Amino acid sequence: MMAGKATRYGLVLALLALMPNHPAVAQQPIIIGSPLSIGYLYGWDAERGIRLAVEEINAAGGVRVGEQRRPFQVEVIDTRDLEPGVPVSDALLAVEKLILDKQADFIIGGPVRSEAALAAMSLLSRYKKVSIVTTGVLTPRYHTLIKEQYDKYKYCFRIHGDALSLVDEIFENFSALQSRYGFDKLFIIAQDVSHARDAARLMERLAGERGWDVTGVEIYPTGTADFSMGLLKARRTEAQIINIWMDMPESAILLRQWYEMRIRALPFGSTLAAAEQPGFWSATDGKGEYTLSNVVNAGNAPSEATPWTMRFYNAYHERWGVEPEGLGTSSSYMAVYVLKDAIERAGSLDPDAVITAMENTDMMGVYGRLRFDPRSHQVIRADNPADGAVGSILQWQDGKRVVVYPASIATGSIQLPPWME
Amino acid sequence: MEILIYGTINSITLALYALGFAVVYGVSRLPNFAHGALYVLSGFIAWTLLNTLRLPYLPAVLLAVLATGLIGALIYQLVLIRIRGMEIAEIIASYALGLAMLEGLRWGGFKGMTYTLPALLSGSTIIAGVPVDYQRLLMCGIGAVVIALLWWCTHHTRTGLALRGMAQDEQAAMMLGVDSDRMALVAMACGSMLAALAAILLLPLGSIVVENGYNVLILAIAVCIVGGLGSWMGAVLAAFLIGFSQILTVVYLGAHFQMVVAFAAIIVTLILKPSGLLGQQKELEERV
Repeated sequence: MMAGKATRYGLVLALLALMPNHPAVAQQPIIIGSPLSIGYLYGWDAERGIRLAVEEINAAGGVRVGEQRRPFQVEVIDTRDLEPGVPVSDALLAVEKLILDKQADFIIGGPVRSEAALAAMSLLSRYKKVSIVTTGVLTPRYHTLIKEQYDKYKYCFRIHGDALSLVDEIFENFSALQSRYGFDKLFIIAQDVSHARDAARLMERLAGERGWDVTGVEIYPTGTADFSMGLLKARRTEAQIINIWMDMPESAILLRQWYEMRIRALPFGSTLAAAEQPGFWSATDGKGEYTLSNVVNAGNAPSEATPWTMRFYNAYHERWGVEPEGLGTSSSYMAVYVLKDAIERAGSLDPDAVITAMENTDMMGVYGRLRFDPRSHQVIRADNPADGAVGSILQWQDGKRVVVYPASIATGSIQLPPWME
Repeated sequence: MEILIYGTINSITLALYALGFAVVYGVSRLPNFAHGALYVLSGFIAWTLLNTLRLPYLPAVLLAVLATGLIGALIYQLVLIRIRGMEIAEIIASYALGLAMLEGLRWGGFKGMTYTLPALLSGSTIIAGVPVDYQRLLMCGIGAVVIALLWWCTHHTRTGLALRGMAQDEQAAMMLGVDSDRMALVAMACGSMLAALAAILLLPLGSIVVENGYNVLILAIAVCIVGGLGSWMGAVLAAFLIGFSQILTVVYLGAHFQMVVAFAAIIVTLILKPSGLLGQQKELEERV
């Protein structure tokens, strides 16, 4: 009898010993649904950022919800919305599946393509799911819609910059190049997708207003594999800067062609996914040198923006064996921490309470001080990480991604290729 | 001059995309919708041989071309031979195989823009005031040689003549002792190797990405329809027609219309001359 009792106690003790230390793990998880186009950089880097943050938070005891501590759990569905020819409806199905099938409490990540993210807004409202867009989605229409129809779209937040802020940052650099080298001719090349077309039109208009001579605008369909005629137009019109808005893989061809043809115009891209990746240098045998790319947030390239920046940078490298890769990496990571902070302050998972808490977010993160505009739910940008979320523009120099903007976090300055000097 | 130089480059690029598809269809009347997938697969095979097995360039690309030919032959021997003659089933089966290959590669981690093949020649030159890189010039040279070799083989070698015989009249060729299935197998292997050769020449210009497979398939089909399904020389002619039209479109209308050119060419061809530019066999069928 005693032996039986001892065995039972032993079993119970063994079970208790096997249980993890943190009581959070025993609680029902808070499910983060992530609709991401994971075949593409802006999808897989976001997934890695989210998973890293979730692992860190869970290891530290999870999320405090009232009196309980609960872990995060990530459910990812591939929306494929960055792939050419995949209809927006597929991305919507992915979001709906996350909500209905995977029982997601919150949505973090995408959809990644602006068109799909805009279409998903109504869906998120219908199911009252608080969402933080962290990657892709650069259209200003996103936060304008939230501002215009707050009651309907209040569930949506965006934690990275939009095309307008990218354009502002790029123009600041253009002005610097103008005063330093006397540049005044600009050629624009964009991919035939919503955010890139809009940004190209905006660039063209603003450049004209600011005294730049826009010598041409070329919109290339997704999947184009030859850019020679566009580059020759830039050459013929003596453009000094080629502004590129292109996230398709074939942009690597454009940059190689630019290098091989020795075009006397500096390639200055935004959402230039090919040039954002750390492997770009070896993939192009160094033929992408001097390419500039706006990677939207600090932390997607090495800098000392905040004490958290390199800590995140190193943690990401250690976890995934690669440096943070581009747009969507640091923002996706931070979105999980912002959500954790909001839930803890709200003390519940109630959407309205979490929304109010998110609107009052004020925390330092990987790319500076994180706050949302309470009406448009757009993250507040600044030039200095102490004041707001800072962007980051890098240039490939001698095999390294050197941050050249903003000045508050820059680790180098813009260099011209030898054939332009 | 820009139009002439880059029109020629674009045309030879399209011809290289399409020749493999045209050869397979010409001989066996088999629409190989796995053509684009074989193109991408060969690129990844070459990449693996170069970067994982550390083979020198020449053996690596030769092995990649041969391996792709073998895969093409296996696809025919194991799958397509069973449904040969059932056109819809052929399309569905070959497309499904292509889809499985492409998405399998993606699933296997071959994604991103960092998979590249080395260019044989680096640098550029100026031709009549127009800068052109050496790799494209090399591609044009090899492309022209491939087209010439294809013509020579099909006119002066026993296997080539048998392939042509099959392409012209399968029943008659069989009566003369040509083994139809064997020739279809050879055609599939040759078509796959042509896809691989195109990949070896063209992929060093950018990176190897799964999406290439879909684009290559669309362009190959467009070229073959315009040229006349089954006609190899028609495909070359159509490649030049579409290639120059695309460049002219970029120059005079805008780059975003260039993909429309390929689709518009298909529509116009199907309305005005459904058999295509040199699709003589189909033209005869239409008359009957």
